Amino acid sequence: MGEPGSWQVSMAVSIAARQAGESVTDWSFRAEGVTKIYGKSLRANDAITLSVRPGEVYGLLGPNGAGKTTLVKQVIGLLKPTEGRIRLGPVDLVADPDAARQLCSYLPQAPMPIDSFKVREAIELTGRIRGGDRAAVRRRASELIEALDMGEWADVMGQRLSGGIKRLVGFSMVTVWPGRVVILDEPTNDVDPLRRRLLWDQIRLLGQWGCAVFLVTHNVMEAEKSVDRLAIISAGRLIAEGTPSSLKAGDRGHLRLQVMLVPDAETPPLPPWVRQHVRVGHNLITTIDEADAAGGIGWAAGLIDCGQAEEYALGATTLEDVYVRLTGHTSVDEE
Amino acid sequence: MMAAVTGLAPSATVRKGLPYWAESYWAMTRWHLIGLRMWLGLLVVVQIMAGAGFVLGIALFFDRIPVTAALFVSTGVPVINLVLVGLILGPQLVAEQKVQQSYDFVRSMPVPRAPAAAAWYTVCLLAGLPAVAVSLVIAQARYGFSFSPSPAIVPAVLLTAFTGTMIGYGLGHAVPNPMVTQLVTQLLVFVIFGFTPILFPAWQLPHWLAVVNWWFPFGHMAVIVRAGLTTGMVTGIASSYLIVAVWGIIGAAASAWALGRRG
Repeated sequence: MGEPGSWQVSMAVSIAARQAGESVTDWSFRAEGVTKIYGKSLRANDAITLSVRPGEVYGLLGPNGAGKTTLVKQVIGLLKPTEGRIRLGPVDLVADPDAARQLCSYLPQAPMPIDSFKVREAIELTGRIRGGDRAAVRRRASELIEALDMGEWADVMGQRLSGGIKRLVGFSMVTVWPGRVVILDEPTNDVDPLRRRLLWDQIRLLGQWGCAVFLVTHNVMEAEKSVDRLAIISAGRLIAEGTPSSLKAGDRGHLRLQVMLVPDAETPPLPPWVRQHVRVGHNLITTIDEADAAGGIGWAAGLIDCGQAEEYALGATTLEDVYVRLTGHTSVDEE
Repeated sequence: MMAAVTGLAPSATVRKGLPYWAESYWAMTRWHLIGLRMWLGLLVVVQIMAGAGFVLGIALFFDRIPVTAALFVSTGVPVINLVLVGLILGPQLVAEQKVQQSYDFVRSMPVPRAPAAAAWYTVCLLAGLPAVAVSLVIAQARYGFSFSPSPAIVPAVLLTAFTGTMIGYGLGHAVPNPMVTQLVTQLLVFVIFGFTPILFPAWQLPHWLAVVNWWFPFGHMAVIVRAGLTTGMVTGIASSYLIVAVWGIIGAAASAWALGRRG
């Protein structure tokens, strides 16, 4: 187990190296052409290339079954890529899965097996398993419990916790002594809005400490506010990558016109100026030019008047619209 | 609030070597003990009751129980106590993790496979030992035996528990479908109690079944445990040790293969 404050030691070493003008190890994460084929032809990941710098919070967005979890399982060494390379700084994570497990922390989407663990116990023990010094782990566990407002459950057993608190305990377990890469698969599931905000603070803090944080989610709205960069994955392929602003840039000058159709109504004929549309359940989501706003309102109001629609909403485009355009899904239909 | 830890940086070192293994062993032993804390006490009690039940219950089948029958049951029950948790409960717990999908988290924990397996072995051994002791005490009191344990009982007990645990560990990890694991363990309980020469001598089995059993470890576990508890009761001890050890290695190898497999 690391010496007391081994983090500080490694940090101090890297700072000293920087001051001495020496080259410092670049701990960037790089996936190059990662392809995972199941059976003979099912391409769960198809030539995915991406890189994440230390300190970045990187979103992996995509519909269910897009291949996000397959990708992160290859990072942590639970699956082996059929082709491609995954490196973290100087370490080849595919060739050395033991190193991958030490250098990466993984919060899976599934519940943690902590029914008979008290909250503090679960966090501290995983911190020790992750190589943390006893005193430092204890201090950090207390800080996490306080920061995520879990104090009243600190000595409660896992089986008596709500789903949201269990999720926060899981987050604390994998980040009490985090790896260089922290992979969080839907970390905010079941978490109440107040603690969700606290959780985001902690995720940002991991970035500040130099962790490369992978955030796997289909909640686009949340990701838009929280990630530095993101990739959209669909059908195993990386179909877009960039900052939330850069991805939205292509939609500048456009508006989102969402029409809620009456149940079972067929999609009405679309005016020629509708740039794109997607139907999700009763919702018809269209993108139109700002110049066509008045026409759009008239068209939607007409649908309501003739009993085909119940209501409509017109607003600025968001990352969600980019996501819809690229994947043909809304993030809501994945819930 | 965060001031105390700001400046921390994630570790850049990959741990290796003996201290890492030792720390992982202790941490995983704690992990398993805490994971079973609601059951461990009950498990030990159930094991004791099962052991006592066999030792005492067998006498009810007879008007006057033959000494051989009493002796075989009394010296076979410790084997049941030693393998029950590792062989039956162990794979069922792994199967449950697979069903509840927490298996990925457990597999992603940064611990070397060997100390993790050793930690589980320790817990299975601890869960079996009290029942072994109580069963033997009850057998002595009920049938008036005076067992004369030799030092050989130590390797016999350790190896029996090891092989039982490793076969179970292999079953749990190597069989992909948890339902199959559950079914196989149910079948094992049935086979062990009814059709392996643990609680009765092998010569009482039909010849073909005795031959089949010779290739499996369970009857041999009883041989080596008996050899450690009594004098002159069993023969062929060396080959029994060998067969039990080989099965232990097979179980460990299957587990190592399954845990190292990356789909």
